[in-house]
Amino acid sequence: MGGAIKWRIATMATSLGAIASAIAIISIVLLALGASPLAVFSDLWQGAFGNWLAATDTLVKSTPLVFTGLAIAIAFQGALWNIGADGQLIIGALAAGAIGPALGRWPHPIAIALMMAAGAAGGALWGGLAGWLRARREVNEVISTIMLNFVAVQILSWAVHGPLMEPSRSFPKSVTIAPTAQLAFYLEPSRLNVGMVLALVFAVGCHLGLFHSARGFELRAIGRNRRASAFFGIPIARITVAAMALSGALAGVGGAVQVSAITHRLYETMSPGWGYEAIAVALVARLNPLAIVPAAILFGALDNGSQAMQRADAVSPVLVNVIQGLVIIILVAFDAVAARGMRGALLGDAEGAVAASDAAAEAGDA
Amino acid sequence: MLSATAITRRFGRTLALDRVDFRAYPGEIHALVGENGAGKSTLINIFAGRLKPGSGTVALNGEALVTGSAHAALKAGIAAVYQSPMLFERMSWEENLALGGFGTRTLLNDLAGAAGRARTIAAGLGFKLPPDGAPVERRSVGERVRLEILRALSFEPRVLILDEPTGVLAPAELEAFVDTLRRLRAAGRIVVIVTHRLAEAIAVADRVTVLRHGRVVATRTAGETSAAELARLMIGDVAASPTKSTKARLRTPDDSAPIAVHGAPALVVENLTLAGEGRRLLDGVSFSVAAGEIAGVAGVDGNGQRELVEVMAGLRKPTAGRLRVVPDRQALAVIAQNRDLDGLILDMPLWENLLLARAVRERFARRGWLQRSSAMAFCAGVLDRYPIRSAGAASLAAALSGGNRQRLAVARALAGDPRVLVVHDVCRGLDLHATAEVHRRLREFAAAGGAVLLISSDLDELMALSSSLHVMTRGRLVAATAADRDAERIGLLMSGAAAES
Repeated sequence: MGGAIKWRIATMATSLGAIASAIAIISIVLLALGASPLAVFSDLWQGAFGNWLAATDTLVKSTPLVFTGLAIAIAFQGALWNIGADGQLIIGALAAGAIGPALGRWPHPIAIALMMAAGAAGGALWGGLAGWLRARREVNEVISTIMLNFVAVQILSWAVHGPLMEPSRSFPKSVTIAPTAQLAFYLEPSRLNVGMVLALVFAVGCHLGLFHSARGFELRAIGRNRRASAFFGIPIARITVAAMALSGALAGVGGAVQVSAITHRLYETMSPGWGYEAIAVALVARLNPLAIVPAAILFGALDNGSQAMQRADAVSPVLVNVIQGLVIIILVAFDAVAARGMRGALLGDAEGAVAASDAAAEAGDA
Repeated sequence: MLSATAITRRFGRTLALDRVDFRAYPGEIHALVGENGAGKSTLINIFAGRLKPGSGTVALNGEALVTGSAHAALKAGIAAVYQSPMLFERMSWEENLALGGFGTRTLLNDLAGAAGRARTIAAGLGFKLPPDGAPVERRSVGERVRLEILRALSFEPRVLILDEPTGVLAPAELEAFVDTLRRLRAAGRIVVIVTHRLAEAIAVADRVTVLRHGRVVATRTAGETSAAELARLMIGDVAASPTKSTKARLRTPDDSAPIAVHGAPALVVENLTLAGEGRRLLDGVSFSVAAGEIAGVAGVDGNGQRELVEVMAGLRKPTAGRLRVVPDRQALAVIAQNRDLDGLILDMPLWENLLLARAVRERFARRGWLQRSSAMAFCAGVLDRYPIRSAGAASLAAALSGGNRQRLAVARALAGDPRVLVVHDVCRGLDLHATAEVHRRLREFAAAGGAVLLISSDLDELMALSSSLHVMTRGRLVAATAADRDAERIGLLMSGAAAES
């Protein structure tokens, strides 16, 4: 009874185990360097959650990771290896930042809705393009999404140097968006805003869509066995385009939230690499939308706490990147599901999945 | 001598092999028989180094083998051919053979040399090879098994292990293949052959070992046993009917064949043509299946059967021709040949696997949302009715045994209340029990007014079930008349095609 549930619990336990192992390995390194792991991790914790301001800032920094993490999870569930969440977020931010200054005449809720819609549309265009290339032209989406990331960065750069540049033209940034298009900070000086709430709503929506809707089922079926899905008449091409567009839209909304709540305008750099970090977030969360939220907060906390750690212990914030990297490596090394997914990505067939399930099948045979 | 001593192997709580002792001697063909789940696959996987036994030892000529290492097994001279071929999908067949054996003695991959050597062996066996440079991914199961056999033979193995290799071979190929096995025997090699066909085991092997529930129940000399005795040993308590040899069975009309009372046409195919790989994979195929009819399609695997099924399933668009289902395409259900690759999603729960069938999915979706609890309850009912041995509707399909996987596929196809059922090698690799059960389901479906297209490489099955018969050769479908319903006539059509195409 409940084989699938047990399996799910086991995979979640692997994630927690990977995090614990990464911390243990780092502790040994710190000990070898003569530093106190206890002090370092305590300062990391202090920097991330030590006080109201730190804790809220962790949430603010986690918000784009939730959006991009959901984007990755949706795509990966369909074995669509979207590496382009960064570009999709950038195009979403660009769309929102472009219409933002003109929204002054609209009431606040409508202006916000338009910002989000623009972000979703921009991201959907960018993701959907890769999806279309995959479905109709057999272009590997890993390559197309990576390339589209570079294109997105250049388009943004051109926009803030050109058509969207502020009138004084002294600095590559766009005009400030209208006040009605801005998401307010609740408890200043904290930068807490409604973005995280929105992210939670989207996470629940993604969960329902993936596990409770017929289309979500079809997407997961494609991700696990393309050939069987084709045999049962699942419209693979259509779902591929739709899933990539949805994935891009989620990242794009993340970009719009960032413009609306935090930056209020466009700069040459709109993402420190959230789209890539999101791959790690999504893998730690086992592509489960609800688990994306704590996973994103964990990664956001590591980012946020790293500065305090540097100040207090003179430990480079790069240590945090090492922890994040270790978590992923340990996870992939010890996890057949992730390994199989990656093999599937490389070979593009279901053979890997079948081979990996052989042991289980043997058990059933006996 | 290949020996296994006191081999025990568990999978979780299941005991797959229980203190198994097994001996096969040089110059011997040794058959291993048993029902699905008896432990045959586990045992040969241990010999081939794919699995490590929990306890016990494996030795070849008195030297203990490192268990759990496929490399060590191969180095010792043990080569295996599996029921589900292990090939690199995206590579050409030449590359597959070069990687597997033909090219391993040189540093540089000598594709042309590998292909040449493969052709020599293939010619000796009467095997037909795919076109030059063709990737494996679109090849049929039969073609894949033939490639696997060539690859295994290229090692000139001291021990050759074959898991159900004959199911996909044509009669003429079979003869040459058995000759090859006998040559290996004469050269003092050991051949271990896993099979469900008891008559074949007796005809080909010198000795037969029977496994039941993970234990060796008996080893018999082939000349001193009978199919009936082996069946009894395999199944245990259940009395088995003696299996007639293929020839005898084909010449006597089967009493259990359905009486041909047919209704209106339910499936009409007109001039279906599919071009690809520089030739016609399907070439003007026309036939119709009436309600209540089981129409059989015989033929050597790889002559267009797979493509025909793919067109039926809507996976490929025909180049020309029409396909009509009464009342509509939704009323057609397909059970594909390769159930693990085309039929199931192994890391999804059983209830979701049932949802793969569009009819089931539509029944349990309201405005696009899945009625999860009713779908699960429905699945529990199906598991109960068929019955499918599993850990419940929420357990993963990967945990099902082969027979239960096929039961699930049959259950799913019938769950949508189809009018037309297209089944391809539906009993391949199933034991006597499961085969009889699937046959009963097909007969019941037809008796209730369903139309069945039974595509099979098993002549016994076709003769027993079908009321009309076609033969597929090189993408063409020829209707067999009543006069053609004769093993030699059909075998001629089939093997003639195999030699030419």
